Amino acid sequence: MELAVLPRRDDEAREHLEQVGSLARPLVLARERSIELDEQLGALVPGGALTRGSVLRVTGAGATSVTFTLASAVTAVGEWAAVVELDSTLGALAAAEAGVALEQFAVVRRVPPARWATVVAALLEGVSLVVAEVPRGVRLGDARRLIARARERETVLVVHERAASPFGHGAGVWPAEAALTVRAVGGAWGDLVADGHLTDRSLRVEVEGRGVAARAVSGELARAV
Amino acid sequence: MVAARVREPELVGAPVAVVERGDRGLVVRAVSIEARREGVTRGLRRREAEARCAGLAVVDADDTSDARAFDVVVRAVEQLVPLLVLDRPGRLSFPTRGPSRYFGGDDALARRVLGVVHDTGIDDVRVGIADGDLAAGLAARATDVLVVPPGDSPGFLAPWSVGVVAPSVDGGAELVDLLVRLGLRTLGAFAELPEAAVLARFGLPGVYAHRLARGEGMQGATPVPVPPELVESLELDPPAVRVDEAAFAAKALADRLLGRLDDLGLSCSRVVVEAETEHGERMTRCWRHDGALTPATLVTRVRWQLEAWLSGRALPATPDDVDDVITSGITLLRLVPDDVVPAIGRQLGFWGSDPAAADRAGRALARVQGMLDVEAVVTAVPAGGRTPSERVHWVPWGEPRDVAVDLAPRDPAAPWPGAVPGPAPARVFDPPLPAELLDADGAPVTVSGRGDASGAPAVLRCAALAGGGGPVVGVAGPWAHDLRWWDVRNHRQQRRVLWQVVVATGDGHDTGEGDGESEVACLVAVTRGRASVEAIYD
Repeated sequence: MELAVLPRRDDEAREHLEQVGSLARPLVLARERSIELDEQLGALVPGGALTRGSVLRVTGAGATSVTFTLASAVTAVGEWAAVVELDSTLGALAAAEAGVALEQFAVVRRVPPARWATVVAALLEGVSLVVAEVPRGVRLGDARRLIARARERETVLVVHERAASPFGHGAGVWPAEAALTVRAVGGAWGDLVADGHLTDRSLRVEVEGRGVAARAVSGELARAV
Repeated sequence: MVAARVREPELVGAPVAVVERGDRGLVVRAVSIEARREGVTRGLRRREAEARCAGLAVVDADDTSDARAFDVVVRAVEQLVPLLVLDRPGRLSFPTRGPSRYFGGDDALARRVLGVVHDTGIDDVRVGIADGDLAAGLAARATDVLVVPPGDSPGFLAPWSVGVVAPSVDGGAELVDLLVRLGLRTLGAFAELPEAAVLARFGLPGVYAHRLARGEGMQGATPVPVPPELVESLELDPPAVRVDEAAFAAKALADRLLGRLDDLGLSCSRVVVEAETEHGERMTRCWRHDGALTPATLVTRVRWQLEAWLSGRALPATPDDVDDVITSGITLLRLVPDDVVPAIGRQLGFWGSDPAAADRAGRALARVQGMLDVEAVVTAVPAGGRTPSERVHWVPWGEPRDVAVDLAPRDPAAPWPGAVPGPAPARVFDPPLPAELLDADGAPVTVSGRGDASGAPAVLRCAALAGGGGPVVGVAGPWAHDLRWWDVRNHRQQRRVLWQVVVATGDGHDTGEGDGESEVACLVAVTRGRASVEAIYD
C-alpha cells in the first residue's frame, strides 16, 4: 500500500512508518471474517458480529426466533443458511418476517439422530451458517469434530438446544464448548385484549461466552409487527 | 442404431427405433429408414412409435457401443478428409472446402463419403453439405445426400421450425418456447428480425441462435490460437488396458485442463484427444460440444473414444488399411483444446449473491439429499392461506421455486378473510398436536354450529408445552373458519375455531434465576370438539 500523503523528502521516517504499518496490518481483516448482526442482537454480542468458524449455543424459550435473527444476518450478505431439524415444525413465515431470504434458506427435516452428525458436517462444508437442533445423546467426540470442521471451513455452527419436543426427540444437550451461549428467557406479550391479537413481544436474551464475552450481558429483542 | 444392428444381425432390414429415457418417459432418439417410412420420428414416445409402425424393433440407447460402432465410420471417412470433428457417436462433420476441390465438387465428395461408409457395411447413412453446422445437420436429416449450394442455406433453413436450434444454444429450450409464443415459428421468421433487436431482447444466446438461423454458422466468436502450455498430458504407468482405468485418468486431466482454461478466462468447445500406446501407436480425434465443455462432458467423450480404440480389436468389420488399431495398453493421454474462445460467463442474479457461495451451498445440500432423501432438504415458498401451515409451501431443494407456486395457486398477496393476524409463529405443527382447552369450570371448550364458544379458555394442556401447559393469561380471537363447507355429501365439512392463547407455564426448564414463570403464546384450534395446538410462537 502506498502512503502517498507523507512528505516525499522524509524518506527515513517514511520507511520506518511503512515497516510499522506492515506489522500492524492483519493478514485477514477481522471484518471479512465476521458477519454483522442487526442492532439489537449486535449490541449484546462482542463486536456486534458473528465470527466465522465459531460455534454458538442457543437455548431457552424463544430460541427459534433467535436462530432466525442469526440466519437473517447471513442471508442479508447474500450467503446461505441451513437448519437441521429433528422433526418438521419450522415456521418459515416467521423466518421470513425476521428478515431471512427464503430462497437462500434450506431446511433439512426429520434428520434421524443417528445421522445427525454426518448431515451437519456435510452442511458445514458449504453453507455459511448451519443451525442444528441437538438430538439427545450427541457424543463429545462428534461435537469436537463438528467444532473443528466449522473452524476449518469458516462457517458458523449454531447449536439449538430445544426444550421438550412433542415427538419424543430433541431435548438434547450440546456436550462441548461454544464461543457464545445465547439464552432466550421468553418475555411478555403485548395486551391481547386491547390489540385484538398477538402483536409484539420483547424477547429477553442473555449472552455469555468466553474471552471478551465472559461477562454475561442481557438485553431485549423487541419485534414490532 | 448401427451398433444395435451389428450386435443383432437380424435387425438389418427391419424397422428399428432406439429409445432413451427422457423427461416424458421412453422417447425415440434414432430411427432407421424403414421405420421412418412408416411415420416414426424422433421425439415420439415409445407407445406412439409402436402404434404407428407394427413390428417395430425397439432398442435401448447405449452410447458406449454406439461409439465403438461409429469408430469404423470415422476411420473410413478419415481416409477422405484430413480434419473431422465428432459431435457425438453417430454424427461427424468436416469442413468441405479442401476435399471438395480435390474430389471435384460438393456432390462428388458427398457421394464418395457415402460410398466409403457403405463399404463398411452400414447402409443407413446420410450426408448433407451446406453453409454452417445447423444447415448441414438438417440437410443430412432430409435425404441420403443433399447438397445445399453455397449461399442458399438461409433459404433452405427458412421453413424449418425454430425448435431445431434448441440443442445448439445455451438455454435453447426456453428461448424456443418464447419465440414460438411470440409467433416466430420458423427459422425464416426469426432470421428476419434485426440482430440488434434480438440482442436486446434475448441476449447473447439469442444472437447466437439468430446467426444459426441465418445460416452463418459459428462466426460468433473469434477463436484465439491455442498456446502450447494449455495442452494437458498425462503418462500412464502402468499402461491402461481397460477403459475405466484410462477414463479415470482422463477425469483428472479434464479437470486440470478446464480449470486452467477457467483461470485464464477462456472456454473451449472443441477438444482434440490424443493417446499413445506402448507400441508407439498414436491416435487423435477431435470432439465438439455445443456450448462450453464441462469436465463431465469432456470425460464422456474421452471415454467414448477410448472405448472405440481399446475394443477396436474385437470389432467385426475393421477395414484392413486402417493402421491405428490398438495393439497394447495406453501410455499417454493428451488433451489439446481446439477452438478456444474467451469465456463470456453467465448472467448472475440481480441480487448479488456470491456465485461461489451458491455453488458451495448447492453441493453441500445436494450431498445431504443424497444421504437422506431429496424431499428431506426443502426451501419455503410463501403461499396464501389462513393458518400458518397453509401459508407456506415447501419445495424440495433444487426444484424450481416459482413452479411450485404455480401448482398451488394460492396468492399470498390476496386477502384471506379469517386469516390469523399478528406475527407468524416460529414453530408450526402439521398435523396439529392434540391438546386440552378447558374453561374456568374445567369443562372442555366447544364450539356451537354458529361458531360460538361454550366458554372462555382458561387452561391449556399440551405435551409440547413446558410443564405440560398451564393457566391461560391472555386470549385473542376466536377466528372461525368453515372448511370444505361445500362438501356436504361426504361429511367432510368442518368448523374450525382458532384462538391465540398466552399460557403461563409453570417452571419451564433451565430458565432458572428467580422468575420461574414464563409465558408461551400458542395458536389453538378447536375442531369437532377437539382442541389442538397448531403453532407455538417460540
